[in-house]
Amino acid sequence: MLLLVFGLSFLSFFPSLSLSQHFAPTRTKPHHRISVSLNLKQRKQREEKRRMMMKLDTSGLESFSAAVPSAMAAAEDQLFAPPSFDLPAGCADFDKFQMEAKQTLKHAKGTTTLAFIFNQGVIVAADSRASMGGYISSQSVKKIIEINPYMLGTMAGGAADCQFWHRNLGIKCRLHELANKRRISVTGASKLLANILYSYRGMGLSIGTMIAGWDEKGPGLYYVDSEGGRLKGNRFSVGSGSPYAYGVLDNGYRPDMTVEEAHELARRAIYHATFRDGASGGVVSVYHVGPNGWKKLSGDDVSELHYKYYPVQPTPVEHEMVDAPPA
Amino acid sequence: MSIFEYNGSALVAMVGKNCFAIASDRRLGVQLQTVATDFQRVFKIHDRLYIGLSGLATDAQTMYQKLVFRHKLYQLREERDMKPQTFASLVSALLYEKRFGPFFCQPVIAGLGDNDEPFICTMDCLGAKELAKDFVVSGTASESLYGACESMYKPDMEPEELFETISQALLSSVDRDCLSGWGGYVLLVTPTEVQEKILKGRMD
Repeated sequence: MLLLVFGLSFLSFFPSLSLSQHFAPTRTKPHHRISVSLNLKQRKQREEKRRMMMKLDTSGLESFSAAVPSAMAAAEDQLFAPPSFDLPAGCADFDKFQMEAKQTLKHAKGTTTLAFIFNQGVIVAADSRASMGGYISSQSVKKIIEINPYMLGTMAGGAADCQFWHRNLGIKCRLHELANKRRISVTGASKLLANILYSYRGMGLSIGTMIAGWDEKGPGLYYVDSEGGRLKGNRFSVGSGSPYAYGVLDNGYRPDMTVEEAHELARRAIYHATFRDGASGGVVSVYHVGPNGWKKLSGDDVSELHYKYYPVQPTPVEHEMVDAPPA
Repeated sequence: MSIFEYNGSALVAMVGKNCFAIASDRRLGVQLQTVATDFQRVFKIHDRLYIGLSGLATDAQTMYQKLVFRHKLYQLREERDMKPQTFASLVSALLYEKRFGPFFCQPVIAGLGDNDEPFICTMDCLGAKELAKDFVVSGTASESLYGACESMYKPDMEPEELFETISQALLSSVDRDCLSGWGGYVLLVTPTEVQEKILKGRMD
């Protein structure tokens, strides 16, 4: 059933290839293999394998390679051609097997991050806890990544994935600046990241990030995730603590807040999420992105915030034992 | 996450000089969500015997109700309170009765026996007793608790020092566990008095 659906879409997007399949078995495009006349069963197997091993967008990983001479192009093609191997033995349903394998590696996105646009720019806030299942591995993780002086990215999901791809995005943005003599827009930056993540879709990356920045059009905020989704919006919260943060954020949000009010709202929202969510905690960091770039506003320990918002009331003592006064 | 990590808990009991302390965290959660921050895990059986139950909260409460029932019957028949060692055997037997469909709780028992001799022990969910002379731990934060207690414990501590030690061990351990914490509760029992204290901890 799956094969049939793919077969149809394959035909609709690559009509030239399907035609040449019936005629000469020559290479028309350098990156796609064309099967020589095979019977139906072999062709189905080949198509399945090809679907698994689509050519990835490895431009992110090749940033430092010099211009390749054309003679090398053919050899390079062999080198970067996806390896082919037999399906694991006893594995009737490879899709299900792959999904299960991914699930074991899937990080639960235990965190709380939020960002919102208001009249004075963008506020970005996050907690700082990293957890592995039930164990807290760190209380001091930097989840707001400075892509460049006027753009921030938040981290939710796999820490390594987020750190690597945000840094890679920073590199791409800088290259864009140098090539085009102007800064990249938030729209462009988020699209770059989204396209890279889309090409790795299904391979187990776990990233739920928000790209916030200020460009010529004003403040910009995009949500990008490892499933390939990209959304433009005014208010986002990502992570296991996001429902709690949304509650506070949606309640207190007004577009015409001052920077101080927005700062306090973001801090409160993250604090409430760390209180209720077990996988969020540590320190709340709040950043503000204005026309001149981003600025870190505060980094408060969440526990101190709790006792500031809810000071300890001395409990009224019902029965108190006192020593009898000396006679 | 396993069934033992569904609600999250942390329990520790320590022995001092003619006294003991039993401490627990105060969080009740449903996996990652925190539902209550004043949940009671340490229960009194009689003035000199306390039991803390970690693991699944509903099984902890049911176990406690069954134990109170059995102890009250014992009091009626024997006209005295149970000794801690006897009580430990009772808990162990009750847990093993459910060998093939167990209660998902791990008890920590602490009491003053004859001659005000402190007694502590812990069990797994099937009733395997583990007697200790220094400290016992239980719950989702148990590994951190083992480390903290091992390094902070000294034998023959006075009640005030014992209270400090057990509080520090508990708070520092639950700060490394997502599923327990949100405050602490310490019960310090000496032959003459019982002190209950609530600890101010990290609320994240």
